[in-house]
Amino acid sequence: MTDWIGKYYLIEYIQACGWAAVLAVAATLGGVVWAGALFFFTTVFGRIGRVAVAAYVQIFRNTPVLLPIYLVYFGFPMIGIVWPAAVCGCFAITLQQGAYVSEIFRGSYKSIDRNLYDAAQSIGLSGWQIFSKITVPQVIVYSLPSLGSQVVLILKDTSLLSAITVAELMMQAKRTQEATGAIYWPFLMAAAMYLFLTLFIDYFFARAQKAVRWR
Amino acid sequence: MNSNDLIMLLKASGYSITLSVGAITGGTILATLLVLLAFSPSRILQFIYRVCMWVIRGTPWLVIAMLVFLSLHGMSIRIGRYYAGWLALSICFSSLFAEVIRGAIIAIPETVFDSTKSLALPRLIVLRKVLIPLVLRQGLPPYINVCVMTVKGSSILSVIGVWELTYASREIIERNLTVFQTLFAAAAIYFVICFILDRLGRNLETRLAARGFAHDLAEGKQND
Repeated sequence: MTDWIGKYYLIEYIQACGWAAVLAVAATLGGVVWAGALFFFTTVFGRIGRVAVAAYVQIFRNTPVLLPIYLVYFGFPMIGIVWPAAVCGCFAITLQQGAYVSEIFRGSYKSIDRNLYDAAQSIGLSGWQIFSKITVPQVIVYSLPSLGSQVVLILKDTSLLSAITVAELMMQAKRTQEATGAIYWPFLMAAAMYLFLTLFIDYFFARAQKAVRWR
Repeated sequence: MNSNDLIMLLKASGYSITLSVGAITGGTILATLLVLLAFSPSRILQFIYRVCMWVIRGTPWLVIAMLVFLSLHGMSIRIGRYYAGWLALSICFSSLFAEVIRGAIIAIPETVFDSTKSLALPRLIVLRKVLIPLVLRQGLPPYINVCVMTVKGSSILSVIGVWELTYASREIIERNLTVFQTLFAAAAIYFVICFILDRLGRNLETRLAARGFAHDLAEGKQND
């Protein structure tokens, strides 16, 4: 048994899988928070905020995620900010995914029933109360399905961090391949673990959707 | 970064564009074959389609590309990095294209097919005059989105050694450490390519809508 585990580098793979999951969770949290901030700018700062956020979203939607990753990893040390590779990667993915998630939020915001706002004003809620009690909860409910598939994309993006020496699943597969000389199974194993993580994400978001529907 | 580097970036962007155009073509052909599976009467083939979608959706493109490279090597097929990269990209994006086509077919209301039956149109004419035009119009906006994703996705091939725009910019950075200029130039090139693609798509969309049918279809769906 132990022989088998040792032969297939199982423990290292599980560690790498954990790292991939941690990176994905960190990038998701960062992306959602940043997207929330962007969304807040658009609702609060009016026209200027809308134009600025739209420009930001367009720029990041039309450039590949590897460019911000390289920008943060190679560029930040030049202006005196030295972060570990994993932090750089997470930060870059956060910047990129913030743009996508803010689009999801915007779409959800549009699908909120406008009568609710009239009702809120008629019972005298303040602007902040309307934002926190009406806008935010409904945006979360409406955007859960698309957020689920976005998180899968974030997980897949973390595999690109192997290009900047972060020790996640893809890196582990490469390393195992170099160590053993085996052709297929290092990458097939990585693929299987990514599929497992995807299943978990799908399950989590299905549960979350049920939970909010119940309320 | 000097003018030589800029010329190198532009040359590399040519490779990126060629790769993505190839991948869009290959991915669309593969996707059409996959969609045939999805709409086949056999349960087993439908199940195979779903498994394919699930696997390609859940695995990072980098891993798929690596597996394609290794399989080609394992079968001792030597076709060079560009063709291997093209094949990998085609496989990665075939699932997205297939879902777009499938969605466009599902969006056609059942009544359209009923009326073709009541007119006793031959199957080939139904395909040529009804199904394909409708799928083209319904599927165009998401299709263009996936095309933009393909252009961006071609950058991942740089990680496994295909020389294109991202690889070239990394090369320049490693040579003269002009991180910001080089990356902004590369980003600008990607942005221009994707933006033009997006505009072209919008243009085509409005032109198709002006001919009338997509709009009618949307109304018909509301009446159902």
